[in-house]
Amino acid sequence: MTKGQDARSVSIVGVGCTPFTSFEEHPETQGIGEGEAFGYAAKEAMEDAGLQPRDIDYFFHGAANPFMIGAALTPNMQVQEWIGMRGKGSIHHSEACCTGYTSLELAVMAVASGRYDTVLTGAVDLASTLPVDDAPAHMRKDFPLEVMLPSIGYVYDRAYGRPLDSAFGISFDNWVNKYAQTYDLTDDQIDQTLNALSIQLRKNAVADPLGFSTKTYEDLAHESGMETAEEYLTSAYNPKVTQYLRVSGFEIKCDGAAAAIVMPTEKAKALGLSAIEVLGTGAAAYEGALYNNEYQGTRDGAKAVYELTGVSPDEIDLFMCNDFFLGGDITASEECGFIPRGEAWKYILDGRVAPSGDKPINPNGGRCNFGHAHGASGLADIYEAVKQMRGQAGATQCAKVPETTFLRGFGGGQNVRCQILRTVK
Amino acid sequence: MELSKMEPIVKRFYEGVAKGEYWGRKCPECGAIEFPPHLMCNSCGNRDTEWVRLTGHGKLLSLVLPGIQNNKPYLKDEGKYGYGAVQMDEGPIYTFVVYGLTKKNRPELNRRIKAGETIGVHPKNVQRDGWVELCFELDDDVKESLKK
Ligand SMILES: [Zn+2]
Repeated sequence: MTKGQDARSVSIVGVGCTPFTSFEEHPETQGIGEGEAFGYAAKEAMEDAGLQPRDIDYFFHGAANPFMIGAALTPNMQVQEWIGMRGKGSIHHSEACCTGYTSLELAVMAVASGRYDTVLTGAVDLASTLPVDDAPAHMRKDFPLEVMLPSIGYVYDRAYGRPLDSAFGISFDNWVNKYAQTYDLTDDQIDQTLNALSIQLRKNAVADPLGFSTKTYEDLAHESGMETAEEYLTSAYNPKVTQYLRVSGFEIKCDGAAAAIVMPTEKAKALGLSAIEVLGTGAAAYEGALYNNEYQGTRDGAKAVYELTGVSPDEIDLFMCNDFFLGGDITASEECGFIPRGEAWKYILDGRVAPSGDKPINPNGGRCNFGHAHGASGLADIYEAVKQMRGQAGATQCAKVPETTFLRGFGGGQNVRCQILRTVK
Repeated sequence: MELSKMEPIVKRFYEGVAKGEYWGRKCPECGAIEFPPHLMCNSCGNRDTEWVRLTGHGKLLSLVLPGIQNNKPYLKDEGKYGYGAVQMDEGPIYTFVVYGLTKKNRPELNRRIKAGETIGVHPKNVQRDGWVELCFELDDDVKESLKK
């Protein structure tokens, strides 16, 4: 057996995802706490698989920042009662923005090893508000920027990367910069590409009933008396805030939860369940202050997952990219072999990464448009991938129903998980 | 681990920086240097490393400039700066704040990097509350040549 290969094949048989939104701002969701949010995502995944809590052996709980956002040290214990799994074992894990992808990796390991048969893996973050000390879970308060910003650096190494300021300094731009340098692209060309990407991803998110965004960039342009989305995106409404990235190139922080249920592929077949096999996970991690860390992690993760699965990059039908700041959609899609090197920026300008295109990327809109409920986002991408692969993705269904999906999970100073899913026939 | 075999590495690094001494940890097996210093070798996976003093001089491998999202007021107070990958003369690569990088000289610096020209940098200390932050700045000859 090659390093990284599973002792038995594992498949996803159920997925669930709440809307990615601000729970406090909608009367229907105001007051929903972490336990309920996790519970609703888990319930949908159970319904999807036709399973009951009694059928599930074990669960994983993910959250990016449970201490601050959930006022919890033991979040898995605190949701257990909500999902009918009293008495059963569970583990909490936390890898910041990469959490939702490690969620799948962990659940697969637990089943592949033979230790458990049916495992639920879920993640939740109510990232748009803060808990109220000494009050029950339905009470939340504002989460001002001045409280949020200092905590972002907490993903970086406290010895060097954080105090020397470079981790936060280089992260947003350094891979796009390397790309621009390699292919001699001007700042304007990068800007046009990122804006075209924003326009497409925003359309996807608006068409997705679970997505945060409700207005396209065309809508926003018209509301502001402008003709085109490009005009809006290059206006004072959307300034550049790093060397390359505009406000539209950053995540929309929101609330959400998502979950998946995995079991041995053979068992799924025996039960007659619709199964999406997790062919493998390539894991890599490079600390945030290391030169081109996102590039290095993606390079290693992609190489590992292709080696251990034997899949060829030309077999990939759909690319999901965790893009809480934009750019990875361009660079990672090439590094993972989905789009030929040096071409992704042109593919984006030509509209080829739309759900209707031949190289679809993030049909749910990704982190800057679908939204980023930090720990839960990876599982929301897995939810999207599964729905796409079953042909159940609605308005943003890819023109060709994907049989093989590549997920480039990323985040948390910086962890990378490259995962390949394939429809079981 | 016996107490006699342990020492605070991060502290020695920062105390060194304050005195103009740049301490890394060298791997006796492969010769690679961890700078800033760590306990074990990330280049070859060897368990042991030993202290080595670096000159502090290096070269710039890449640069990006801050925007309002990733700007720090206390850094700005010391002059115009960017974030860059620096390769020390002794080999190790890490990223740092680098002074002297500007919107104006960025295209020329990028051109030189792409052409494989050496852009020398040396340490510049930024005093923080109770410790000193190691930053770099462009060498004088680089600054001179950029004026032309
Ligand atoms: Zn070594």
